[in-house]
Amino acid sequence: MTTVRLGLPVLYLRSRALPATLAALAAIAVLAAWAADRLQDRPEFDHTARVPVLALAPLLAAAAIGTGLLSHTEELDRTAVRRWWPRRLTYLLVLTALTAGALALAVPGHPEQFGAPAMVRNVVGATGVTAAAAALLGARASWLPMTVYGGAVYLAAPRTPGGAAAYWAWPMQPGPEVAAWVMAGTAYVAGAALLALRGPRPDRDHGSGRPS
Amino acid sequence: MSAKVTGLTVRHRRNTALDAVDLDFAPGVHGLLGPNGAGKTSLIRVLATVSPPDAGQVELLGTEVGRGADHRERASVRRRLGYLPQVFGYYPGFTVREFVGYVAWLKEMDGAQVAAAVERAVDRVGLGERIDAKVKTLSGGMVRRVGIAQAIVNEPALLLLDEPTAGLDPEQRVEFRALLREVGRTSTVIVSTHLVEDVAAACSDVTLIEAGRIAYRGTTAELIELGDAADELGGNPIERGYTAALRAHRTAVGA
Repeated sequence: MTTVRLGLPVLYLRSRALPATLAALAAIAVLAAWAADRLQDRPEFDHTARVPVLALAPLLAAAAIGTGLLSHTEELDRTAVRRWWPRRLTYLLVLTALTAGALALAVPGHPEQFGAPAMVRNVVGATGVTAAAAALLGARASWLPMTVYGGAVYLAAPRTPGGAAAYWAWPMQPGPEVAAWVMAGTAYVAGAALLALRGPRPDRDHGSGRPS
Repeated sequence: MSAKVTGLTVRHRRNTALDAVDLDFAPGVHGLLGPNGAGKTSLIRVLATVSPPDAGQVELLGTEVGRGADHRERASVRRRLGYLPQVFGYYPGFTVREFVGYVAWLKEMDGAQVAAAVERAVDRVGLGERIDAKVKTLSGGMVRRVGIAQAIVNEPALLLLDEPTAGLDPEQRVEFRALLREVGRTSTVIVSTHLVEDVAAACSDVTLIEAGRIAYRGTTAELIELGDAADELGGNPIERGYTAALRAHRTAVGA
């Protein structure tokens, strides 16, 4: 009996698969730290070799957050007494902050290049795009757009930072590049707002074509 | 009146699911009958405050909750509302106790009363012994009963059930109807179903919907009487009454 009495917010967090999401995020952070360390320790590389980690780890983390947004009880959730947007927004902000912090620790040093600031920016941007995708496509498919975009940018971005690429290839820029921060920040604000206001798009369209 | 809609119109893209419907429901058990696609689910979903109407007023428990209504007022109604959707999901890791507790949390029930309310609701649907079983390990009929338990956990003043007996075996249906009559003594219960026997056994009156319009309203006894008069249709009296009322409506609309 006490578990239910004490655990009501816990039930909400569990219903959104928070334990699994946190475990995935922790595993991604450890893997990123290990990979970054290995890459820059190789004699033929230096710290700039951490770019793949900066590009890939935020994609994985955003995917873990995005797919965890799925509500299994969408129709019942609509009858909630309290408004959803503050809960959704808090949930996303807290997870983003945790992820950004954990992944920033995975790439110590060299903030002027591909270090903690660039990692934080990429987490913010990737989570923003994924949150927008969850609102527009549904939580299950929310990882897809950022993975496609991040993968394409990783392959196509020019080696020299700045210029127009600072906008379209923001995940591949060094930490201090302002344009890349603007892009990532805009993606986050838009994505978080869409998700908070609309919620993840339900799997089924309840509105049409169903038997009444 | 516990629930009253005026000029209620619901559209799904180009289709009109409900066409300027006027209805009211007092405490008791009300059956909502009609062919598939008639608009029953659309009506239940508007009454559950799950989807806003395209036009018209929706007054529940004395409060207007339709499009543009104040959130605080809608929230006060939602606390006193129970809803069993036709399809409802559950988090795969949840036990019966946790799932019903989650809905109690959605309804912002007093934390000190939740544990006892959850146990009482689960007991009332006859699943007391399975309360700590995972929902995913239960049979279809049991999951349906879990759905009924979550709908009554807050002892709702207005209970909306969409096809509640789908998947229940005959014994469970008999027990469920008894539960409906019990809840209906104090609350307003609206049951959407395509099983006329549910209506005959549990509902005091019937609303028949066809193509987004009200085809018939009356007591269950009146519908059965109508069936008695239409002997040539075959089937039992309430089925005949249902068919006769529907055909009379179609003739009137066609004319």
